[in-house]
Amino acid sequence: MAYIRRTWTAHEAEEWTREDWLAIIISPICYVLLTVGLALTLLLQTSGYVMLGVGIVLTVVLHWIIDPKLKAVSTEYERKQQTYLRQLEAQVRWQDTER
Amino acid sequence: MNVAFTTLDWIWVGLFLGLMIGSGVLFYRLGKRSESDFFLAGRGLPWWLPASSVYATHTATDTPMWITGVIYQHGMAGIWYTFFSAWAAISSFVSTRIFRRSLAYTQAEWNVVRFTGLGSELLRGWMAGWQFFMNMFVLGWVGIAMGKVCVFLFGWPVWVGLIAFSLVCAIYVLAAGYWGVVMADFQQGIIAFLVILIVSFWGISIAGGPTGIIEKLAALGQLERMNPFAFTGWWSGSFPAAWFITMLFIALLGGFGMGTTVDWYVEAQRIQSAKTVRDASYSIWWGTLLGLVRNSVWAVSILAFFVLFPGLTETAEYEMGWFRLGFDYLPAGMVGFFFAAILAIHLSTISSHLNLGALYATRDLYQHYVNPGASEARLVLVGRISTVILLIGSFFYGLMMEDLTSWLIFALWIMAAGIWLPNILQVVWWRFNAWGYLSAWIANLGFSWLVVWILPALGVIPELLDYQQFWLLMVLGALVYLPVTFTTKPENMDHLVKYYIQSRPLGWWGPVRREAERQGLLQPGSTTARD
Repeated sequence: MAYIRRTWTAHEAEEWTREDWLAIIISPICYVLLTVGLALTLLLQTSGYVMLGVGIVLTVVLHWIIDPKLKAVSTEYERKQQTYLRQLEAQVRWQDTER
Repeated sequence: MNVAFTTLDWIWVGLFLGLMIGSGVLFYRLGKRSESDFFLAGRGLPWWLPASSVYATHTATDTPMWITGVIYQHGMAGIWYTFFSAWAAISSFVSTRIFRRSLAYTQAEWNVVRFTGLGSELLRGWMAGWQFFMNMFVLGWVGIAMGKVCVFLFGWPVWVGLIAFSLVCAIYVLAAGYWGVVMADFQQGIIAFLVILIVSFWGISIAGGPTGIIEKLAALGQLERMNPFAFTGWWSGSFPAAWFITMLFIALLGGFGMGTTVDWYVEAQRIQSAKTVRDASYSIWWGTLLGLVRNSVWAVSILAFFVLFPGLTETAEYEMGWFRLGFDYLPAGMVGFFFAAILAIHLSTISSHLNLGALYATRDLYQHYVNPGASEARLVLVGRISTVILLIGSFFYGLMMEDLTSWLIFALWIMAAGIWLPNILQVVWWRFNAWGYLSAWIANLGFSWLVVWILPALGVIPELLDYQQFWLLMVLGALVYLPVTFTTKPENMDHLVKYYIQSRPLGWWGPVRREAERQGLLQPGSTTARD
């Protein structure tokens, strides 16, 4: 089994897994590197080129990791959305029997 | 200074305003179809449309003034003041996903999806009313920034800039609702980004390019300004490392919660307008990244402004620095294009807050508490009336604001500090209940005034640095909401199970998960079991 899973069933994708935590860790690093890297690149600093380059690579990696899972989550959720929307409308109109 | 506009300049401005009003007319039929269309564009947008709206909305008229101020004061290290928006880094993959699955129109409505009973209704009503006035407040401060820009450019009375362009904006917001907002934001985002690049690179070029900026900084003995990590020590000075760590802590971990920054409430609407959970995640991630990249370009251009005009001490003088790069140095005929872009920046923010404030008034106050059986046509009408009320109210707010910065900081603090942790707990901890959250809000309102204004004014405590205020407010708030949470009952378990199944929150939800399994709604032990 590969360390990063890229094939998901809808049921499996609903759970929080290693791939989510990797996205949570990599994503802020991307923001920091891209923000500072671009500014320093515009000032022609070598450190800027390096940070910007690493930031772009990490952004690609981030999406490579999380996109298959997000697609699976979305597909599964869209099937149930109409039911949930009906419940929400009932709630705003005080028709929810649970309340 | 007064800027001389040529005919070509006014043609640019006229074309731009025509384009924006045209958007409203074009999408009028879509906007009036239903409440969902007027406020969420029917929940059917691909990620790049709400992403452009996230970017455009958070590029306001006062944004370049504020960013110029911090970069001029602190050099490149000031870029971290703009990094609060990085909460989206984690939120895109956690709270955005959870909120999109709740389908709540607003953060106020989410309270009754997550909590139950009287406490949840009190939270919904409070948050809706507070957000209605908060949007009016934001409209006021952004509007007065535009008024100041017009004073700077044309010498008009401040109220002219405040009122005139907001009225133009109201035309397309009233006509097409969120459809008009998001379609105009897309165009405004492109125009604004293009012009930010043109003006910034023009300014950098005038200062001698990157090499010229570095040489001039060296001659001024200010090379340290190029270092984004130029701390003035751990605890003291204008840029202590403790502040930096606090900022990263607030910004990044805040992404686990909902409402940890003022921007969340705007983003919540964009999240729900995305057509899928995936689109919602990417809209927040990429829209925010675009804003951060914009800040980087701005920061370098402000360094250019610094070497051109070093030694300015008056905030009012140097915070107009980026505008001066455009109006002082762009060639004739381009000045109008620059002003049109400033209008784009302005209108995108005004339109978003007009529609968002009206959403809270319509969905959470009118529909839920006044007329639950209202027809779709009626709800759209109430949305339009609310928009007009917000617009008029914002004019009064705007004219009352003299000091933009202190209001901004206080407004952010009053929403961010004492309820920062509760905003996370409500998402990640099943036991946190409506009464705990409500008490956190009430306590924070009182403590914010005390810590920021009253106690320092009375000499009871010294004036604290902003990061010190954050930690103090967080501790004081916890002394209230934790006892309240533990001395009141947990939320109804069936309601929590329903919420859990729909939203699949991250965090400490063990008892709810086990109950869902017991009811046969989930397979036992399936958490993270993949292999």
